[in-house]
Amino acid sequence: MALLPTIPTSFVPHATLSDNRHVRTDFGNAFGFSAYIILGISFVLALGVFFYGRILAVDLAAKDAALVKAEAAIDQDTVKGFVQLRDRLNASQALLESHIALSGFFSVLETTLPATVRFSTLHISIDDAGTATVEGAGVSKSFNALSVASAAFAADGRIKDVIFSNMSINKNSSVSFDFSATLDPKLLVFSPSAKAEAPIIPTNASSSSATTTPL
Amino acid sequence: MNSRILPAIALIIAIGIFFAYVHPAWTGSIAATKTAIANDEQSLDSSKRYVEQQNQLLIARDNIDSAHQKAIATFLPSSVDNVRLILDLNALASRSGISVANIDVITGSSASTNDQRSDALPSADASPVDSVDLSLSATGTLSAMKAFLVGIEKSARLLDVRDLTVKGSDTGVYDYEMTLSLYWLR
Repeated sequence: MALLPTIPTSFVPHATLSDNRHVRTDFGNAFGFSAYIILGISFVLALGVFFYGRILAVDLAAKDAALVKAEAAIDQDTVKGFVQLRDRLNASQALLESHIALSGFFSVLETTLPATVRFSTLHISIDDAGTATVEGAGVSKSFNALSVASAAFAADGRIKDVIFSNMSINKNSSVSFDFSATLDPKLLVFSPSAKAEAPIIPTNASSSSATTTPL
Repeated sequence: MNSRILPAIALIIAIGIFFAYVHPAWTGSIAATKTAIANDEQSLDSSKRYVEQQNQLLIARDNIDSAHQKAIATFLPSSVDNVRLILDLNALASRSGISVANIDVITGSSASTNDQRSDALPSADASPVDSVDLSLSATGTLSAMKAFLVGIEKSARLLDVRDLTVKGSDTGVYDYEMTLSLYWLR
């Protein structure tokens, strides 16, 4: 027996079509709202980036201009003057510390060498490392005098490694010899306070009326 | 239908704006400009420090006595000027009592190996000093020679005797040959 269409077949109520439509409408509205919000944020970000970029560009231009101005204010001649003065002071100090004074050697030679011994030739050379060597030849009145000279050099100690060689007795019983030695670097060190054993020579520009560099 | 398409288009436009303009501009030109500004600020700070140091150095330099500045410039001049030096050596020799026979520059003895004269500032590593050797031969007594040596040692312009040969005679007058080094600032 067929049921009448008006009689329900179940007690569970069917969902109505109008409920589905309501959910879809809410989801569509939320999606649309979010999309427009995101679009708005994008526009705001784009505008912000654009104007921030312009502000930074103006700031950079101002700083570039200030830098060019600061660079132009630096006087290259002044800088070179400072560098030259620094180099001159440093180099002068270094050169003065290694300044060679040979007169000290002659003073020591005069006081140490007996009057009975004399040199006929003497060669002093100083290498780049500051080591001074002496070579020469001379004549001694006798072997004893030469022995006294050798002992005097040894006692003084500033003329070192003294070697008398190639000794030969002459007809007048004098002794010819060759000589070699090294000099203690302290003997060659220049001391501004050392007593001058020579005519006083101007040592600075202000103390001389000469138009040329004073010596 | 339109209620779904338009939001989707808006979302696509928003994504497009972000990836086509906002992000590249932020990480590209804006980042580069910020770096350039930072560099400029650093340079400006350096220039300020330079000005302060320059003023301090100017004061310090002005505090050096002008006579001392002249003396140091004479001690280590900025040029070789060997002609004037030879004249001065002759004058010193006559004052000391020795007779100079010959003074000359030993060619090829210059310690300079590379000519760095230019408008550029010299580097800190390069030696600022150059030197050349002079040969000198003279005749005189030993005491006169010692006076000449002391004069050279105490010369206002720095001179170093590098080599000295003394040849004796029975008359007490000796022949001398010496090599002098003279220096100047490049």
